[in-house]
Amino acid sequence: MKRRDFFKTAAVVGVSTLGASAFGGEVKMRQPIDNQPILKFNFPEKRPMITHSDRPPLLEAPRDVFTQAITPNDEFFVRWHMPEIPTYIDPKKFIISVNGLVEKDYIITLDELKHDFEQVEVTAVLQCGGNSRSAFVPITGGVQWGSGAMGCAKWKGVRLSDLLHRAGLKDGAKWIGFNGMETAAYYKTPGFVRELNIDELDDHVIVAYQMNGEDLPYLNGYPVRLVLPGYFSDSWVKMLKNITVTSDYQHHFFMDEAYRVPDNITEGELPDNLVKKTKPITRMNIKSVIGFPEDKSTITINSQLVVRGVAFDGGIGIQNVLISLDGGTTWEASLLDNDARGRYAYRTFRFSFKPKTYGKLEIMAKAVDRFGHEQPFAQNVLWNHGGYKYNGIDIVTVEVI
Amino acid sequence: MRKIILITILTITSLFAQVKENIEVPYVSYSIKMGKGFEEVNTNCLMCHSFGYIINQGPQPRAFWREKIIKMVDAFKAPISDKDAKTIENYLTTYYGNGK
Repeated sequence: MKRRDFFKTAAVVGVSTLGASAFGGEVKMRQPIDNQPILKFNFPEKRPMITHSDRPPLLEAPRDVFTQAITPNDEFFVRWHMPEIPTYIDPKKFIISVNGLVEKDYIITLDELKHDFEQVEVTAVLQCGGNSRSAFVPITGGVQWGSGAMGCAKWKGVRLSDLLHRAGLKDGAKWIGFNGMETAAYYKTPGFVRELNIDELDDHVIVAYQMNGEDLPYLNGYPVRLVLPGYFSDSWVKMLKNITVTSDYQHHFFMDEAYRVPDNITEGELPDNLVKKTKPITRMNIKSVIGFPEDKSTITINSQLVVRGVAFDGGIGIQNVLISLDGGTTWEASLLDNDARGRYAYRTFRFSFKPKTYGKLEIMAKAVDRFGHEQPFAQNVLWNHGGYKYNGIDIVTVEVI
Repeated sequence: MRKIILITILTITSLFAQVKENIEVPYVSYSIKMGKGFEEVNTNCLMCHSFGYIINQGPQPRAFWREKIIKMVDAFKAPISDKDAKTIENYLTTYYGNGK
């Protein structure tokens, strides 16, 4: 959609403003900031990563991870909201509580979770809603992630529906609240609680205790976390401790205020004219990231170059990843992997060619889904005040020598 | 027999947690611009989050920083006095502003 079309839409829906905005300036989207420095030392169970904060820990994966279909646990991104995270959990004593509008409240141990229910696996992409936020200009609030706040893992656990079935939902059960064990410095700070409508929860949603065949790393939510294939990571509650069923939406801060985009067709707004009505970010939009070569790297002339990367969406499925070497004028199909991991996983792509001209070369990747939706150019991604859901065509520029 | 022993070992290890003691989350020393107001930032802001969390918001106008401080007080219930709030706003605008 062109900008002037957006203005038309905005005028039609009659957007209301919040008054003076804190942003100001003209929208000028760009490529996300690449190659941010990797910390010289490591966090627990992790390799050294791009470290935006230590409290709460915010760790980003470097670009080269995105040549792999499965993101290694020790390079999987980390995002917490609260400063206090339990630093030790005894797996023999850990329990999850299921309560609220149910026939029978109960608690479950890790051992029961692993043995009393059918065990299921799903390979799914976990991506922060603010991934690639550094593409937004004017700069929005929130962590200025490059494109490394995402990863893909094989998760193993138990269906949420099986856990709820054991409790027995009462009539009128409509919302399910999830909270984990991270806590704030102040007692009065609202907890990180997520609420999901029962209609949103299908059998793909699991309570997972394993990631790529191993225990979850602490920083990724040991011992159990919620896995919502196709959804942004804000509701994949880590160190899941409590599941409460209610009839009414409970209005928690992190639901009402955070992780929301304008509630209009385009999901766009302007810095000086913020849209008042917002909605949760929920399902992921189509995206691809080039893992190799790296931006600003050097490539040998006439030597076969294999561009590699990953593509994914919210579950429709990737049909194609197209590559352009001429600024987006012509596009050629890349080779995709065999899709064996299912529709919530990364599809890896590769594209082989011989660079024949010295100097700068721009390599672009654009994913297309089974319905024909495709990624927009960065400059056509619409701005929103939280810097969410960026999915512009990825570009790396190399020097051919 | 060797096969049986191997299977037994695998079964036993899988019952244990990967991490058997406290994890230690390291401190990162983010480069901080010293100046009037840093003391107030140190006392009020760093209770809940690191300095990295501040600078990774990117350079921002005064109105942005003001809104963030209001959010910390209203939404997150941080006990920041009005006087400190103003000092922190000035500090962030001066050292982490974008000129607006």
